[in-house]
Amino acid sequence: MLQYLIILLDDTSVSYCHYENTKTERRLISLDDLKTGIFFAMKQNLMIQFVYPDYELPEEYGQVIQSIDNHKIAPCSILSDETNVCVTCEWEKLPQEADTFSKEFVWVLRISKNNLFSNYEKLSLRIKAIKRLNLVITDVDTFREEDFSIYKKVLSHFQTVLKEQYSQDLYPQFNLLSDRILLDSMNNCNAGVENITLAPNGRFYICPAFYQENEMDSVGNLTIGPDITNRVLYRLDHAPLCRICDAYQCKRCVWLSRKTTLEVNTPSHEQCVVAHLERNAGRELLLELQQSENRFSGKSIEEIDYLDPFDIRKRERE
Amino acid sequence: MPAPAHVAAAAPAPAAEFVAVAVVVVIRAAPLAGRGLTCKTVSMANSTFKNITFIVTKDCQLACKYCYLVGKNTKEKMSWAVARQAIDYIIGHSEIFNEEAVVFDFIGGEPFLEIDLIDQICDYIKRSLFEKEHPWFNSYRFSFSTNGINYHEKTVQNFVQKNRTHLSVGITIDGTRAKHNLNRVYKSGKGSYADVVKNIPLWLKQFPDGATKVTISSPDIPYIKESVIHLYSLEIKEVNINCVFEDVWEEKDDSLFEEQLILLADEIIDREYYKEYKCSFFSENIGKPLDRRLQNQNWCGSGMMLAIDAAGNFYPCTRFAQYSLREKEARIVGNIREGINANRLRPFLTLDRCTQSPVECIDCEVAGGCAWCQGENYDAAGTPTIYQRATAICKMHKARVRANNYYWNKLFRKIEKEEWKANKKVEKCCNI
Ligand code: SF4
Ligand code: SF4
Repeated sequence: MLQYLIILLDDTSVSYCHYENTKTERRLISLDDLKTGIFFAMKQNLMIQFVYPDYELPEEYGQVIQSIDNHKIAPCSILSDETNVCVTCEWEKLPQEADTFSKEFVWVLRISKNNLFSNYEKLSLRIKAIKRLNLVITDVDTFREEDFSIYKKVLSHFQTVLKEQYSQDLYPQFNLLSDRILLDSMNNCNAGVENITLAPNGRFYICPAFYQENEMDSVGNLTIGPDITNRVLYRLDHAPLCRICDAYQCKRCVWLSRKTTLEVNTPSHEQCVVAHLERNAGRELLLELQQSENRFSGKSIEEIDYLDPFDIRKRERE
Repeated sequence: MPAPAHVAAAAPAPAAEFVAVAVVVVIRAAPLAGRGLTCKTVSMANSTFKNITFIVTKDCQLACKYCYLVGKNTKEKMSWAVARQAIDYIIGHSEIFNEEAVVFDFIGGEPFLEIDLIDQICDYIKRSLFEKEHPWFNSYRFSFSTNGINYHEKTVQNFVQKNRTHLSVGITIDGTRAKHNLNRVYKSGKGSYADVVKNIPLWLKQFPDGATKVTISSPDIPYIKESVIHLYSLEIKEVNINCVFEDVWEEKDDSLFEEQLILLADEIIDREYYKEYKCSFFSENIGKPLDRRLQNQNWCGSGMMLAIDAAGNFYPCTRFAQYSLREKEARIVGNIREGINANRLRPFLTLDRCTQSPVECIDCEVAGGCAWCQGENYDAAGTPTIYQRATAICKMHKARVRANNYYWNKLFRKIEKEEWKANKKVEKCCNI
């Protein structure tokens, strides 16, 4: 069931996920479309997430936006009290010291694998200053076997940092590790099922990435409403690998899946292995916390012998 | 000629059964003598095998009306360089192609138009397998589906003689002259029956178990019974006959189809053709509900096969090459230079019946044997997905199930009566 409406306020609205926003020319959503989008969300009982560009919006837009309860996703260059999710592509921009202001919202760091591999030690020091960090690797599809080994090492380092924090009764959340510990079922992005995106052209898209990639890829407009052909394929129960998987923290990015395997319901090997390395690192952290700190006693994450659920299907077939 | 292949495969090829087809391979002694190997027969029954298809040409002498190849042309012919690179890649990567046996298929257009290239390819395959001491050297087969028009020609016959023990050839003949010429016509519009039928005796002499494929689309329905019986009269013992998967059916087609199948059933049973001849429309295993969990395999083998075209691109099967697709873009899963793109194959290898089927099919009481073609599913789908099953065949399958039930009920009763009679005779004798 739809629960969220993501409204891209401008063509240059910040990307907060795997996709790159390559659009550089401003195109603000029309005020009429913005109002109609909000009206639609109110009737459908949807929570709105506004995605901001890096410039200040005209005043009348602010008034319309304030007419409804919402979440604000914004680039860190226009950070304000109202921001809920603050996005940056430079790890150096993450706060160094905990302050009440930056503890109020979620930080999203979009980072390439090479940048992460080179800077993870310095970056990990910033976790302490943040309430929650969502780290998004922007080029998961380029991982090779050797990258998986490095990533394992990186996660192990984050594991140590988080453990230290937890020992001091500080609980910063870090999506790659703590989410799996906290979750008991899949918590994927669910684009096309739980959320849908309204773009500045007044049309609906599965998620912002589908709009960025191809404007022709729309799934409805403000007159007819969302109209998603083969909508079931975005659902977990129609994803043959994901439905047998327990990497609950995985985004299960349908855009990335389509890009790599040509099917929205089938993730790539790289997406799965990366998510399983995170899952397993989460498991190790949980075990350590249970042993040394006696915390999370009711939780358990099973030991598994695969990093890609495709291997389970392969074994079944053989 | 590409067999009118995207038809409801009456001889099922679901994943589980795909590996169980019996293929007998005879290793030729001559080139091996030097290494002390002797001529022996290797059975590929129960072994897993890879099906590799070379799309050697997109040209054909015919312009069959039901042909699914919408992009046939005279230009795209495979070059020797592409073929050789493909073979080097496949034979050099036995960690990817790790099946126990292999069937190399050659299709077109009409494959025998490129007999010289095919001959070169087959020689090179044999030599490479031998030199690399590849496990397939004991287990390979070359397979052809042809329109039969140039089957008698010297070049083709030389090839047949040379590779006889590793060869399967199927000639497509659609039935009576009228039925065949309805669809299988030259580009000029002239029917091809006469040119095909004259090669049938030669073919059957070389391949006594040769089977033919017959394709049924809406206008063919009235000819079904007479066509199958006609093929039997030509001594073709196995007729694989299927309805096309496309949405071509007219309103009353299912009743007409059922009527024809019942007439055919009567003929096969009354004249006792069933003792020696086969018609794939009638099968004991179809028409039952399917278990969601235990009978959840995909039907079609796409993704487990590999097709290669003139540009050196790989496809999950030929039906995903651009010349076979009406609406969608080709699904390329690699090429001879960069190899297989494993991610692009994943959706094919994780497909199951229920995930791609609508609820009606999952709950269907006669679902067993109701086939689909992944390529047609993709081509007909509302989005570019292989996960949306096309069900244009639905009413035809249901009609087939009704006729099939009739066939088996009638046949069992006949056999029962005969056995009873025979037992009576025995009883009488014993009582004397
Ligand atoms: S790890 Fe792979 S199978 Fe599991 S949810 Fe993520 S994308 Fe799906
Ligand atoms: S297509 Fe029709 S006959 Fe075939 S399984 Fe679906 S509902 Fe049953």
